[in-house]
Amino acid sequence: MAQSARVRDVVCTLRHQIAKIEGRLAETLQKRPGGLPSGPAAAAHLVRTGIESFDRALGGGFPPAGLMELYGTASRDAGAVSGFALALVRLLSNRVDAPLLWIGNSEIFREAGRPYAPGLAAVFGLRPDGLLVAEAERLADVLWIAEEAARVDALRAILLEIRGSPHALDLTVTRRLHRRALLSGFPLLLLREAGEAQPTAAPLRLMVAPAPAAPRLTLAGPLPGSIGPPAFRVTVSKSRTAIPASFTLEWVDDVFRERHEHVATDPVPLVSASSGRPAAAAAIGKGMAVERLGARPAAGFQPAGEQYPTHRRAGRKG
Amino acid sequence: MGIAEARALHPQIEVVESDPQADRRLLESLADWCDRYTPLVALDGEDGLFLDISGCAHLFGGERGLLDDLLTRFFHQGFDVRAGLASTPGAAWAAARFGKSDVVAPGEEETLLAPLPLAALRLDKDVQAGLESVGLRTTGAIMAAPRAPLVRRFGKAVTLRLDQAMGRIEEPISPRLPVPPLMVERRLAEPIGLMEDIEALVEMLARQLKAELERRVEGAERLQLKLFRVDGDVRQVSVRASRPLREPRLVQKLFHERLAAQQNSLDAGCGFELVRLCALETAQLEASQTDLDQGDRNAEGDVALFADRVRARLGNHAIRQVRLVESHIPERAAVLVPFSADCDLAPSEKASSAMSEKDRPSRLFDLPECVEVSFAEVPDGPPLHFRWRRAAYRALRAEGPERISPEWWRGGEAGATRDYFRVEDEAGRRYWLYREGLYGEADTSPRWYLQGLSA
Repeated sequence: MAQSARVRDVVCTLRHQIAKIEGRLAETLQKRPGGLPSGPAAAAHLVRTGIESFDRALGGGFPPAGLMELYGTASRDAGAVSGFALALVRLLSNRVDAPLLWIGNSEIFREAGRPYAPGLAAVFGLRPDGLLVAEAERLADVLWIAEEAARVDALRAILLEIRGSPHALDLTVTRRLHRRALLSGFPLLLLREAGEAQPTAAPLRLMVAPAPAAPRLTLAGPLPGSIGPPAFRVTVSKSRTAIPASFTLEWVDDVFRERHEHVATDPVPLVSASSGRPAAAAAIGKGMAVERLGARPAAGFQPAGEQYPTHRRAGRKG
Repeated sequence: MGIAEARALHPQIEVVESDPQADRRLLESLADWCDRYTPLVALDGEDGLFLDISGCAHLFGGERGLLDDLLTRFFHQGFDVRAGLASTPGAAWAAARFGKSDVVAPGEEETLLAPLPLAALRLDKDVQAGLESVGLRTTGAIMAAPRAPLVRRFGKAVTLRLDQAMGRIEEPISPRLPVPPLMVERRLAEPIGLMEDIEALVEMLARQLKAELERRVEGAERLQLKLFRVDGDVRQVSVRASRPLREPRLVQKLFHERLAAQQNSLDAGCGFELVRLCALETAQLEASQTDLDQGDRNAEGDVALFADRVRARLGNHAIRQVRLVESHIPERAAVLVPFSADCDLAPSEKASSAMSEKDRPSRLFDLPECVEVSFAEVPDGPPLHFRWRRAAYRALRAEGPERISPEWWRGGEAGATRDYFRVEDEAGRRYWLYREGLYGEADTSPRWYLQGLSA
């Protein structure tokens, strides 16, 4: 791999020289694989969703390549999280012929179900021959597949789905994934079902929760009681601009559409209080992963007894 | 003789229960080891091996040299073996068990067999007993006897075995393993045990194999690496490629993953002294023009190579693709099958019926999960309250039912009619539930299942 990259680099330089001699525009040639887009050049590459406020919160739009994190608070939200991820892939990647690789460990596939091609085709326009499903029992193997796959530049996108907040998925691993995905030029979406926010190298982190769908539209107006296109409640938890924001998005005919909550025709609270989801206010302003982790310890984390002040320890019962 | 009697005679004897399966395994592992002399190794009964060494003897310094090498190595492994070498399997069998000299020159079968007892002819017990009862006690006596009465009285087996041993009738041996189309090997003066050494050797062998494959305009689809350990153990590692390949680097990569996965079970012990790379299956592969920047691998090839590596390391089911099946039953309509590069993935006309329906879930459980429904509209309405995984859900909106009848034409278990509902709960999660059976049809009330999650 390393050798081939070097050879490609040399060939690219030679092509540039030839283009210069011939008076052609070197920019029409393929871009140098070694250089990552950065600065204002990167901003030009950003993919706009078409929703003004959402794009602004993201700092211009979605980056077309690299690592992005999507969080869901419970396994039962996996349908919404993966749905949002597939919608993003549809939006970001135009390599329609390349296959999408969906990697998961066996635990999440048991817990939340395997990808079902007919449903994906209908809603997200993903052809059944454009889906590869990789699965391994151990997290180390899942990460190995992901890291190797991130180098295969013939993929459309990678969905890496992991349940919980494992320690193996640390800053180093995610940085490696991010860099490889950037070089390969496709989005790598890290789906963390029932996970806690952890410090990772992803420049963008969104919390995704389901939202009640709007009724189906018919010629005679909305059909009461029907379930329309998928809707998501998306909270920008980490982004370049660090503008905290929360949106209700609908995926209609291959584009995102924002739905304002007062327009919701169903007299139903949008988010149930019992779902264990952090309130929107808690997520806002905590753009940094480190802060979040400190502010709200993970569910399994119990401080040792010595850490409590004595007066609290005495008063604690049960 | 009973154990008690034997112990009375020799108090120090050790009693071990017979284990025919273990004996068989040992014989098979010996057969694997004999693979180093010839690929044509056959098992013979419970205690013998046939080796067809046609065209192999010169590699070991002639027939005598091969036999000596084999006997020496077996001796050092702790086996007491007897060997016979002859132009026919029958004569070799007799020479190994009854003969005085182990190498029988062509044409000398008669002088070898004549003084031997009837058992040297591999006859059935009752046939042998019958022959002995009429006074024919040696092979020589049968050779001298008129054939027609022998056949009439004792069947064709007697003369057949005799003719086979004498080389008048060809007797094939059936090798245990198919002979690989191509193989290359390397004998090592100094045994190797390190993974890096083995991988380097694999690449070297693959380079030799490449020349041979190029000559045949073929690529290998299945490759096997045989590692012969110094103490006689043979380790086999095989990999499969979804498209024919002959590039040494790619072969080495596949084996790298496979060896990494088997690192614990691949016990190098004192090292491997013989490494062999076989192409078990080959397929046509035309040479292609390579680009200057090595951009010859097209997109699909790269994915196929990646998938092969994943499969080599984690097994065949680690990476899968979708195959659509013409069926109304949702879990049967789209199944995940192991990845293969050349399989036709275009959705067929028949299977597209499953694709046209809009409201399928995006995720499907392996097995539909049982749901307790406390309230449902009777007879065929959606559930209003349900419990799934010990949590209660209230269905606010529902679409359905969509009735799917069992596929009676398949036979076997027909199952019950399913009524599917799309249900949305208070938080906006969308589920795909079905009711199996109908209310009021049978004595038992129908059961509810949750089969998938929608976006």
